[in-house]
Amino acid sequence: MEPIQLFELASRQAQWLSVRQNVVAGNIANANTPHYKARDVQPFESVLQNTGVQMAATHRAHFTESADAAQVTEVSALDDVAVQQSGNTVALEEELMKTGAIKRDYELNAGLVKSFHRMILMTVRK
Amino acid sequence: MDPLTSALKVSASGLQAESTRLRIVSENIANARSTGDAPGTDPYRRKTISFAAEVDRASGASLVEVERLGTDDSDFNVEFDPGNPAADEKGMVKLPNVNILIEMADMREANRAYEANLQTIKQARDLISQTIDLLRASQ
Repeated sequence: MEPIQLFELASRQAQWLSVRQNVVAGNIANANTPHYKARDVQPFESVLQNTGVQMAATHRAHFTESADAAQVTEVSALDDVAVQQSGNTVALEEELMKTGAIKRDYELNAGLVKSFHRMILMTVRK
Repeated sequence: MDPLTSALKVSASGLQAESTRLRIVSENIANARSTGDAPGTDPYRRKTISFAAEVDRASGASLVEVERLGTDDSDFNVEFDPGNPAADEKGMVKLPNVNILIEMADMREANRAYEANLQTIKQARDLISQTIDLLRASQ
């Protein structure tokens, strides 16, 4: 029987989406912080491609950045228009759009996992 | 830490920062006419607040915190009102350097940011409950 790849892929996408949600929440919380630069995660495709070695956190004070969290980068503002007087580059509307996209993708992901799970159960039962 | 849980934490820090800002605004508005208690003394001085990003060590997420509560060093408004207890010998009274319009604009901005943070909390909660729903027995 072919190994089923879907669950691993789905859980990685769910993890990526929650990391992104975390980053967006950080942007929104810092919408009024002077000199704060908006951040975002790299697209899921590129995260899928490079999965590297990860350092172990052996002390409470160590930064435990997961492989996904390491993909967080600063977004360069397209032009000076997006930069506020205080040096902040967060655009609230854009961040709220992003949360919408995250929510949709997460719903799709969870729905797919659910229906796949149901299909597997169907073969097991009876 | 689970990224969604830390998203909740980040948004909560945003709520706290914005509500502190709202508190400062309301202090300024409440004291917009608070003069000194003796002739010639200084009145209430407008308070200011500034935020800073703080990295959460456990998750690497950027929380927000109130960096500094300061005071606005601009000049006081001076008004001629000889009947006022705080008036000096020329009849001039120093009034706080609070501009209600600025405070109102600040209040609106804090309000909007608070709403945006609430929205993120709702969303993170939805995502978590969708994940838990995967475990429920499907019909």
